[in-house]
Amino acid sequence: MTDPGPPIVGQVIGVDDATPLEFWVAVAPDRTLQLDDVVALDRTLPDGRVVHIFGVVSQLRARHEGAVFQSDVFLISEGVLPGQVSEAALVQPTRFEPEILVPPLPGTPVRIATDLERDVALSFDMVAHDRRLPAGLSRADEPVYLDFDFVDGTKGAHINISGISGVATKTSYATFLLYSIFHSAALGAAATNTKALIFNVKGEDLLFLDQHNGMLDEQAALRYKPMGLQPGPFRDVGILAPPRPGDPNATPATGSRKLGVHPFYWTIAEFCQQRLMPFLFADAEDERQQYTIVAQAVTDRLAALEEAGDGAVSFDGRLIRTFNELVSAIEDKLIPVDPDDAPDQRWTGRAVGSGTINAFVRRLSSARRHVEHLVRADVSDGRRSGLDLDAHQVTVVDIHSLHDRAKRFVVGVVLRQAFDAKERSGSALPLQFVVLDELNKYAPRDSSSPIKEILLDVAERGRSLGIILIGAQQTASEVERRVVANSAIRVVGRLDAAEARRDEYGFLPAVARQRATILKPGSMYLAQPRLPVPLLIEFPFPAWATRPAEVGRASGDASPSDEDPFAGLG
Amino acid sequence: MTYNRVVCRLMQFAVETWDPAYGTSNREADERESARPVDVAVEVPPDSWKPIDPSSDVTVPHAVIFVDGVRRIDARIWIAEPDGTSQPGVCATVAAGAVLCTPNSASIEAVIVKRGLYTASAEAEALTNPGGLGTQVSYEVRDVAGDGAEATYLAVHNHMTEVEHELSATLGPQAMVVFDGPLARRDFPHGVGYVKTQHVHYLDPELRPVIGQLDVGQRTPLFRVGGEWATWSWYMRLPGPRSHNLSGIVRLELPALGDSSCAVARADEVTATLPRFASEPHKDARAPQNLYPIAGLERQLRRHLGDAKLLERALRLHARTLRVAS
Repeated sequence: MTDPGPPIVGQVIGVDDATPLEFWVAVAPDRTLQLDDVVALDRTLPDGRVVHIFGVVSQLRARHEGAVFQSDVFLISEGVLPGQVSEAALVQPTRFEPEILVPPLPGTPVRIATDLERDVALSFDMVAHDRRLPAGLSRADEPVYLDFDFVDGTKGAHINISGISGVATKTSYATFLLYSIFHSAALGAAATNTKALIFNVKGEDLLFLDQHNGMLDEQAALRYKPMGLQPGPFRDVGILAPPRPGDPNATPATGSRKLGVHPFYWTIAEFCQQRLMPFLFADAEDERQQYTIVAQAVTDRLAALEEAGDGAVSFDGRLIRTFNELVSAIEDKLIPVDPDDAPDQRWTGRAVGSGTINAFVRRLSSARRHVEHLVRADVSDGRRSGLDLDAHQVTVVDIHSLHDRAKRFVVGVVLRQAFDAKERSGSALPLQFVVLDELNKYAPRDSSSPIKEILLDVAERGRSLGIILIGAQQTASEVERRVVANSAIRVVGRLDAAEARRDEYGFLPAVARQRATILKPGSMYLAQPRLPVPLLIEFPFPAWATRPAEVGRASGDASPSDEDPFAGLG
Repeated sequence: MTYNRVVCRLMQFAVETWDPAYGTSNREADERESARPVDVAVEVPPDSWKPIDPSSDVTVPHAVIFVDGVRRIDARIWIAEPDGTSQPGVCATVAAGAVLCTPNSASIEAVIVKRGLYTASAEAEALTNPGGLGTQVSYEVRDVAGDGAEATYLAVHNHMTEVEHELSATLGPQAMVVFDGPLARRDFPHGVGYVKTQHVHYLDPELRPVIGQLDVGQRTPLFRVGGEWATWSWYMRLPGPRSHNLSGIVRLELPALGDSSCAVARADEVTATLPRFASEPHKDARAPQNLYPIAGLERQLRRHLGDAKLLERALRLHARTLRVAS
């Protein structure tokens, strides 16, 4: 053999137990290992077969051998007491090839796994090249892949991301994954028809996905290369924002971006016929109340109303154009003018007391000011502005400016429409991706609501229907278990120390949990079914603008300040 | 309430700083007069003896090497004689090593390990690869002159000294090489003998109080011990708690080569060098005389001896295998 092979970095030690689940490696004096390094070693069995064992370094320790007391360190460094520095690395095996689960033997030389060996160690070799979804970079800037079979529903679906706001960069990572999905070989030709729906829940971060990021310098752009991606903005983006309250023209209510934004709202007729009323009652407290019986009855009656053109409905001969008019008409039905008259049971539901009816009316009235600009048939140009999720590859629905009740209403209704459309089409392809942050708000663990039901439907049946949820939340412990459990891919950014101890993060080994509390922005732990060990990954700086100040030309072009500052907008 | 003040003489006593298990550093009870001729007038006349501070212009060597050996009995065996009797023997492992101390590092430079089967029996054969531990484990036969435990002990000790010699032969011409124990037969011109336990009185009773008067870092005047392996020698006091007159006292030896003025300069050098290495009572049971580098070296050497239980079991296994084979 002329090839000496990769250099030996250490040997398996014999004073700590070596097991097939973890073992310690003494690092050779002139070599170093760092956390997340991928290593390989071989064990020859008595029958002559060779088992290749691959693993990832999950902890390191260094100590003085020959020292008995803590203060011996001073004696050793003063040259008085002989002592030796010894380093050891804890390795968690990721793969045995062939799969004979034996421990490595003490003394076995250990080498750094590079190139092909690294692919084997991380099971990338089991994924066909066109099914590799770039998911980020290792600390050594080598690409880390996801098996797209576990994303697109072939073997599993859904991605769940946890981490505290601000530093965990959950939304950035979700958009990076989306970019990777659309621009890598994973989707292939299907990328053209695949759609994504993104809810913008905080700030206006996601309103500039179609703009170059002027802050992306050449070095940051280079980091896309190892993954086979070309940095750039999303190509085909539709941005929808709620209308400005009180504006008869329904101009979208966005602060930093005016151009290319379209308003979204539902007509009174859609509200009635598509049975959207229950989504107004999606608070945790609603479920325990009797008045949902009334809401159900009213929803049924409204569905029977006839459209009177332009999205208005005819209600007992009255033309209803606004949400206020609709609420008044419903109130008239539920509360008779003469207190001695019994209310119409077709509207109230059977055997419902007046207290319950009044509770419903109060609840409906209080919803009025939050959603009146979202449910209307009074827009002068008469343009129908429901949500068309098929118009663009990526549709951003901005809900950050809405009240919580309105947010729930919009998320619930949009998801329901997407779900229904998929159910009707009867085909999983093309895929529909949905990015939703703050899952704890929409699918809370401890209560149920119409939105939670839909999210559960997506989580449990979305895989076969072709709806893939990329969900995120600060704390997975507050999200419905089944939503998280159905996600094949789990991602964890910076976690709160108390949260990191929860059982929901059982897939993270103890050291990883500890590290999760100090992860820096741009670093995440990625757990995927192919690998028994979560990998620490970094993802590159976004190539698309994430705020107005970043909007600029592609890197390498003249600085955006020299040009028309609005050139990128449009 | 009033106390009657009773004036009486109270016993004055001090507790030895060494751990009781090690005895004392100055075995007064066993101390005997040296049989070797001692010349106390080599540096100053006997009537001018007093503690001496090392010369202020003495330079402390950059590198100091400490050499020490350890021994351990792995098994006691009985060798069957042709006449049906049994001869005792001992399987032991000895090791010697050297630590090189510089201002910022102390490293173990060399270690030699040897195993021996010490017996007076003519039937003895080397025990190689006992219990399948590998051919690198081998007990070579070493003759014991005479019977009795004392003779066997001496044979093991001599073997260890021999290994120390072998090791010191590998050391280059260093400025200072300190051997743990008297120089005895060590033919090493740069060697320094370091004696931490005083068994023998070299000084006449009238000069002995000078040892007690030594302050930390001071030495007595040089004296010459004659005999087959003549040495220059002196006492010094190492830093540490001073519970009694002889706390921290060690005796040092240089080979009696050259003239006395050279020896005096060298004695100053050694006296100035050693306090740095003195150990502290909470870290070493024989502080301060058991110097840190030597204690550290001994710990490492004991590791090199191999696991005692493992060796003992291997020897038992070997004995049985041979019995079955014959």
